[in-house]
Amino acid sequence: MKASDFIYHRPGSVDEAIALLGDYGGSARILAGGQSLMPMMNLRLWRPSALIDIGRVSGLDQIEERGDVTVLGALVRYHTIEHDPLIARRLPLLAHMIRYVGDRQVRNRGSVGGSLVQADPTGEMPLAALTLGAVAHVRGPNGARQIPLEEFFLGSYATALENEEMLLEVHYPRHPDHFIFAEVNRRHNDFAVVSVAVLGDCSDGIWRNLRIGLGGVDETPVLARAAMDLVEGTALDCADIAKAAAGAAAEISPPSDIRASDEYRRHLTEIHVGRALRALADCTTENKEALL
Amino acid sequence: MTASTNRVEISLEINGRTITQSVPVRMHAADFLRQTLGLTGTHIGCEQGVCGMCTISVDDRVVKSCLLLAVQLDGARVRTVEALSDGDRLSLLQEAFKRHHALQCGFCTPGFLAVAKSLEAWGRVLTRAEIRDEISGVLCRCTGYEGIVRAIEDYLGAVHGMSAQTEVPA
Amino acid sequence: MNFQVTAGVDMPADTDRAIIGRSVPRKEDDRLLRGGGLFADDVTLAHQLEMAVARCPFPHARILRVDTTAAEALPGVVQVLDGRRVAELSEPLTVLRPVPGAPSLPYYALARDRATHEGQPVVSVVAVTRAIAEDALELIEIEYEPIPHVTDMTATLEPDAPVLHPDVLESNLMASNVDRAGEPEAQRDAAHAVLADRFVVNRVAPLPMETRGIVVSWRSGARALDVRSSTQVPHLVRKQLAESLRLDESSIRVVASDVGGAYGLKLGAFPEDILACLHAMLLERPVKWIEDRMEYFRASTHGREAFHDMMIAADKDGRITSIMNEYTTDIGGWNSPFGSSQLSSVTFTGPYRVADAQVKRNVVLTNKTPVGAYRGYGQPEVNFAREVLLDRLARRLNKSPLEMRRLNMLRPEDLPWTTPSRAIYDNGDYLRTLEMAATAVDYERHWAASRKPRGDGRIVGIGLSSFVERTGYASARFLANRGSQFGAHESVTLRVNRSGGVDLYTGVSTFGQGSETAFAQICAQVLGIDYDFVRVHAGDTGASPLNTGAFASRTLIAAAGALKEAAEAIRDKVLVIAAMALEAETDALEIRDMAVCLKADQGRSISFKDIFNRAITGQGIPEGIAPGLEATAHFEPRSASFSFGTAAAVVAVDPATGDFEIERFVMVHDCGVPVNPLLVEGQVRGALVQGLGAALDEELRYDPETGQLMNGSMMDYFAPMASDVPPIELLHTEVPSDVTPFGVRGVGEVGTIPPAAALTNAVCDALVDFGVEISQMPLTPERIWRAIRAGAAS
Repeated sequence: MKASDFIYHRPGSVDEAIALLGDYGGSARILAGGQSLMPMMNLRLWRPSALIDIGRVSGLDQIEERGDVTVLGALVRYHTIEHDPLIARRLPLLAHMIRYVGDRQVRNRGSVGGSLVQADPTGEMPLAALTLGAVAHVRGPNGARQIPLEEFFLGSYATALENEEMLLEVHYPRHPDHFIFAEVNRRHNDFAVVSVAVLGDCSDGIWRNLRIGLGGVDETPVLARAAMDLVEGTALDCADIAKAAAGAAAEISPPSDIRASDEYRRHLTEIHVGRALRALADCTTENKEALL
Repeated sequence: MTASTNRVEISLEINGRTITQSVPVRMHAADFLRQTLGLTGTHIGCEQGVCGMCTISVDDRVVKSCLLLAVQLDGARVRTVEALSDGDRLSLLQEAFKRHHALQCGFCTPGFLAVAKSLEAWGRVLTRAEIRDEISGVLCRCTGYEGIVRAIEDYLGAVHGMSAQTEVPA
Repeated sequence: MNFQVTAGVDMPADTDRAIIGRSVPRKEDDRLLRGGGLFADDVTLAHQLEMAVARCPFPHARILRVDTTAAEALPGVVQVLDGRRVAELSEPLTVLRPVPGAPSLPYYALARDRATHEGQPVVSVVAVTRAIAEDALELIEIEYEPIPHVTDMTATLEPDAPVLHPDVLESNLMASNVDRAGEPEAQRDAAHAVLADRFVVNRVAPLPMETRGIVVSWRSGARALDVRSSTQVPHLVRKQLAESLRLDESSIRVVASDVGGAYGLKLGAFPEDILACLHAMLLERPVKWIEDRMEYFRASTHGREAFHDMMIAADKDGRITSIMNEYTTDIGGWNSPFGSSQLSSVTFTGPYRVADAQVKRNVVLTNKTPVGAYRGYGQPEVNFAREVLLDRLARRLNKSPLEMRRLNMLRPEDLPWTTPSRAIYDNGDYLRTLEMAATAVDYERHWAASRKPRGDGRIVGIGLSSFVERTGYASARFLANRGSQFGAHESVTLRVNRSGGVDLYTGVSTFGQGSETAFAQICAQVLGIDYDFVRVHAGDTGASPLNTGAFASRTLIAAAGALKEAAEAIRDKVLVIAAMALEAETDALEIRDMAVCLKADQGRSISFKDIFNRAITGQGIPEGIAPGLEATAHFEPRSASFSFGTAAAVVAVDPATGDFEIERFVMVHDCGVPVNPLLVEGQVRGALVQGLGAALDEELRYDPETGQLMNGSMMDYFAPMASDVPPIELLHTEVPSDVTPFGVRGVGEVGTIPPAAALTNAVCDALVDFGVEISQMPLTPERIWRAIRAGAAS
């Protein structure tokens, strides 16, 4: 199918882009990497009156260290995340899970900003940003604001971003020392049936700053807060882990769809949260990938 | 260019030729290559960004041209399957595909050739698992992929002056 | 694969120059590697328009009102057709392979008052571009009244189900056919052990990467309709177009140049073909229609959906005494050119010696996209049922599945064997493939071991799956008995040219199977000409002799005979002309290096080019010999040939999740004499991966409430990518068929047959201590997890 017609703009600056968003009163869309937007347009599921192509706006693809915080511009492409040494050092979870995103061609075009705004509940980038406690920096005709990722996703493919606002940067706080990521797919790099990201710091055998993020098991990527509370400050022994895994499975509302039933997703969540936490507990000397 | 009309003029370098052309803004790059430029070697299989038939090289990165607007090619350097061979002679990559029976109906072949060509930049021979991972953005329904993997392995070995490490089937 | 060049029957003696049996590079490759193929959408004609089609979004609906005013007013829109107009202008589509015993169900290219499946065409639009035609679709107002629908194959036979075609049928049962031999009921009743179950086979998409497409032009003054179509059967499409468009066949030329995959889907004319032709004829402008992928999933025929109620009975030693199989296939909302799978009836007893057996086939209608032919056409389906049930029975009898197969398999001396459905298996050695597969995976040792989890928590299982595959058709008489609208033969024209080469014309289009290459190899071998000097012109009804087409793994079996006959006729005349030129008897001559020379004095020779020129001009040929050097031959093989083999799968199952890895997949296979081993390997591997896809993940699912397809997009249909394919080991045996030219057997579909049962048996073997039994495809981790829970509960 061919996209419906639209008006095309290619602004040279953020100011110009935001002015255009205002001009269209929310009926325009930002075109970044296009890897989520273009399929929707080709299928005529979305018919924006205008596209604002930010591909030539400079300064949106920067990667910066600001103390503990790592800043990624909205136009940082997956391909860059895959290869950038600074990201590998400071945001190893991102560098690791990027291999589960799309395929080679998609990773060459797709961008961090695009994936967060798309808000796919199974997406790896949204899950990583949420689990790491990132903050979205956005701007609109009425000015700039910051949205913690925990408040960013409102539902399946819905965000707290206003239609006239544009995502500019994602700020990632300090990355805990250890992480494990696991994902179950129906086929290679397909949408996640269930994905699990766990992170934490360990000193003297006690785990702190534990984060458990889950993808594919709810309307949005979610933090398993009850499970996190159960294991925070523990030694992550078998009993702690079993309780947390059961807790995580209890606090989600998984969908039933073509990929899996809600029941199976809940079961997989318990199994894989348990396995991920066990793998995390095993990696106090170095990060190891979870063996699924 | 900040103008906004339903047709836009773009300039690009395509297979070594620089062209300037007016395009409808809603036309995707695959239709532009095929319909406007007559480069029908790039195929269309889904227009949903899944099958990879329309894979081309833009500024030395492989992309799906159905997910790219023609206007986004403005100023780009584009390579399609038509630029692969050396005059009448097949390139080393094409020869490897032929030798290993890496194509049957041939509809997906331009997509695989584009991805395979881009793997040169790794500077080494990839393992078979890495090759499979890298080509998993193109769907082939005929070959079962084995010939394609072998052809790419063989080709990278030739390019990087080393023979591919032989992997014994499990 | 290590093939040996083996001379089959009728093989010319000059084996040192034999090209049959060699892995020569393909004729097709150079153009396809350069982007120089010519697929339907690559053809653009001057003044061409493009068509788009409005389709019914409901499984079953009355069409109350169609208003196309706004669409027609859109700039760029040229013509709009609705169902009433199309019914005036054309006849219903015809069926090539009717369901035996079923009434015909007239199917117009556009629905008139009622649509019986989602995706059925309702209005067609042509415009200056496809994008504008799609804009116009959004402006068409169609008022539907959804009416009760049925998509479930069991529910469709319930008394309260809506009857889809009440004018011709009283229920949704379209037809039933029974084949039987001996006393299967009596044997069953007397048996030591009897097992029966329902095996459910998933609905899948053939999924060629090139969707369907057609480009048509009409010159009314000449009454000439020129059609470019992505089809496996150009001559049959020509026949069907003539019937529906009320034209003489002589007014129609169908050309299928390069076809981007077909797999049985592209067999015959579809509604959109008729529509594109009607628009082109009414407007006298070329019209193109290229199916998009969303249309594909709802409008192109699907494959396979069936359930098999299978029963196997055995004596206490494990000898099978009776097999009974009643199976039901879903044909969807209407008949398609090939209808639902028919071959389960032919091979339901597989490679086993069973004299008392019955098979009953029921064909039912549901409000879903019509089902058509798909690679295997019933053979993968019945193989899944029989081989899984056989393993279960073996376990019940405390025998190993290997031993059970060994005991029951037909021996070479049993062949030829007439099956209970009266197919005749030709010669073969089935047991050898079983033993090779078992040895490759060390089956005996595994069977004796316990099924304990390994260090990684996974449990290893091994499954076997043996099969026999019919390749080709028994005869035109066999087809006539079933009302089929085509023959069992294939044909070829060979014509020499002034450049010293041979032009080979065939109605078999090129869709990846390598027929250009294989045909050229046979021609080169028989004629003694270099392979490089044979040029194949494929798929043009204006140039090729009338033929059947490429399907049912039959092309080479039939074409090899036609090629041999035509090439021999050319060769004989070449020798006669050379004899005159060299002043020798033909017996004293031999063909060597593109020339004819004296056996006794190779220095005295005349080139092919010289001979061809003499024949073409008529200058310098013997008195009484007609000028020209051209031969057409038609050949019908005297019988179908049966390929055979055994697959073995080794899996490692995670009992906590049902997830499993395929650690090995071994396929032992016999396709007789391979004309080109490289092509054979490609065909087997490609079909295996389609078989694996259907076994593991592929499934078209309909929403039970709305009756709409739930996963009709490329994103939601899980066809295997390169990383999804497990390592596949191919082994092969080579028993030349004694019923075909050169001893060949068909090879195009075989890989689709064994994977589902091999994998299911492997998983059930791994989980035998959990009491896991699986009777439904695809074999998803969730299904296995549920089976583990069910086993634990019982």
